[in-house]
Amino acid sequence: MFEIEILTKKGFKNSRGEHVLSDICGLGIENVTKVEYSSLYIIDGDISFAETETIASDLLTDKITENYVIRQRDAECLSEVISKFSDVKEADMINPNFSVIEVWYKDGVTDIVSESLIKAVKDLGIAKEIKAKAGHKYYLYGEIFRVTLDTIATKLLANVLIQECKVY
Amino acid sequence: MKKIKVLILRTAGTNCDYETQSAFELCGAVVERVHINTLVEEKDKIFEYDILTFPGGFTYGDDVASGKILSNEIKNKLGYEVKKYALSGRPIIGICNGFQVLVKMGLLPDPELFKQISTLSYNDSGRFECCWVYLKTEKKIGSESSCIWTKNLPDVISLPVAHGEGKFISESKDFFEDLNKNNQIVFRYSSKDGGEPEYPLVSNGSTERIAGICNKKGNIFGLMPHPERYVFALQHPAKEGFNSKYGWGKVIFQNAVDFAGQ
Repeated sequence: MFEIEILTKKGFKNSRGEHVLSDICGLGIENVTKVEYSSLYIIDGDISFAETETIASDLLTDKITENYVIRQRDAECLSEVISKFSDVKEADMINPNFSVIEVWYKDGVTDIVSESLIKAVKDLGIAKEIKAKAGHKYYLYGEIFRVTLDTIATKLLANVLIQECKVY
Repeated sequence: MKKIKVLILRTAGTNCDYETQSAFELCGAVVERVHINTLVEEKDKIFEYDILTFPGGFTYGDDVASGKILSNEIKNKLGYEVKKYALSGRPIIGICNGFQVLVKMGLLPDPELFKQISTLSYNDSGRFECCWVYLKTEKKIGSESSCIWTKNLPDVISLPVAHGEGKFISESKDFFEDLNKNNQIVFRYSSKDGGEPEYPLVSNGSTERIAGICNKKGNIFGLMPHPERYVFALQHPAKEGFNSKYGWGKVIFQNAVDFAGQ
C-alpha cells in the first residue's frame, strides 16, 4: 500500500491553503499563521513501487507547480516510511511548528475521485486491479491548541457525517 | 461550397458541447459531438474533420486537477493522431476545460514539442469565479498575431469566464518572453478601456494577465473565457454586440470556419 502526497512547489502560491486560512479567520480563530494544502492518495493492490511512481509523476502531479512524495504504508499502521521524494528536501517537510489535519472519506462512502483515479491509472497502461482513496492534508502553522484543531477539523474541513479526520 | 466538418470531442463531465455545436452551426459548419471512446476505437476518423474542438466542462469531475485525466487519456490513446492533426495546420480550439486539456497535454504552446511546459493552476482568489470579463485582443499590439481564430476582432471584447483553475503559469521566465516574441499571446484580461484590470475582472492571477494563447502557426487556440456563450448580442448583460444581433464570440468560430474553407 502506497500513499502519495502532492505538494505545491516552493515559490508557487498555495491558493487552497490561503483560502482555508481565510475561512479559519472567519471562525474567529486568530493564532493560525499559515495553512498549506496538499492532496493525498492511497493506492492499494498488486502494484509495484515503479508503477506507483509513474502514477505519481505522470498523473497526480502537475510538473510545473507540484512535487510528490511516496510513502509505503502498511494497512493498519499510520507510521510512515518516506520512500521517495521528487525534488523535495526532507528538511522542507519537517517543521516543529505545524500541526496536521487529514480528511478522508469514511469506509463505505462513495469516493468519486478514487473512481476517476482508477480509470486514469488504466489509461496509463497499468492494467492491474487496484483500490484507491483520495484525501486532503492541511498543514497548520502556529501555536494551536488541540481543541482548536478539532474545531477547525470538524467545523470547517470535514463533513463528519461522511468524512473522518486525523489530527496530529 | 464545401461544408466544413467540426469534431467536438466529449467525455464524462463535458458540458459546453451543445453550445459550442450551436455556435459552429451558426457559422455554417456541420458538427458532430464524438465521445472519446468512439474516437479511440476508430482513431483515423479524426482526419475526416476540418476543425477539432475541446469544449468546456468539468471532465471527470475535475478530479486530480482540471483537464488532467482527459489530457492523459488523449495523450496515451490518441497522442499520435492528435499531434499529426495539429501539425497538419487544421484549426483546433480548447475552451476553458479544453484549454486546460491542451496545455496539460502539451499541444499548447508547442505541438511539435508535445510536452507540458506550462499549466493552468488554481485561481489566486482560491475559488471558482464566474463573471463577464474584458479581453484585450493582442493582435492589435505590435506585430499582427498569427492566430487564425481572432481576426477582425476589436481591441477589447467582453466574454464570460467560469473556472476555478485558470491561472496560466510556467516555471521559466524565458517561456513568457518566447510567447511574447512569437506573438502567441492572443487575449489578456483587461479593463473596459484595455488597461490594467482589477478584481473581479482578473481573478485568477495569470502571469501577464494571459487569458488565451495560440501556437506559433496560429491554428491551435486555447482560452479560458467562453466564446460559445456570446454568439448573440442577446446573451450579453447589456445586450451589446455587432450588427445589433451577434456577439463577438461568433467571430471567433466564423474565422475558423472561413479558414478551413479556404
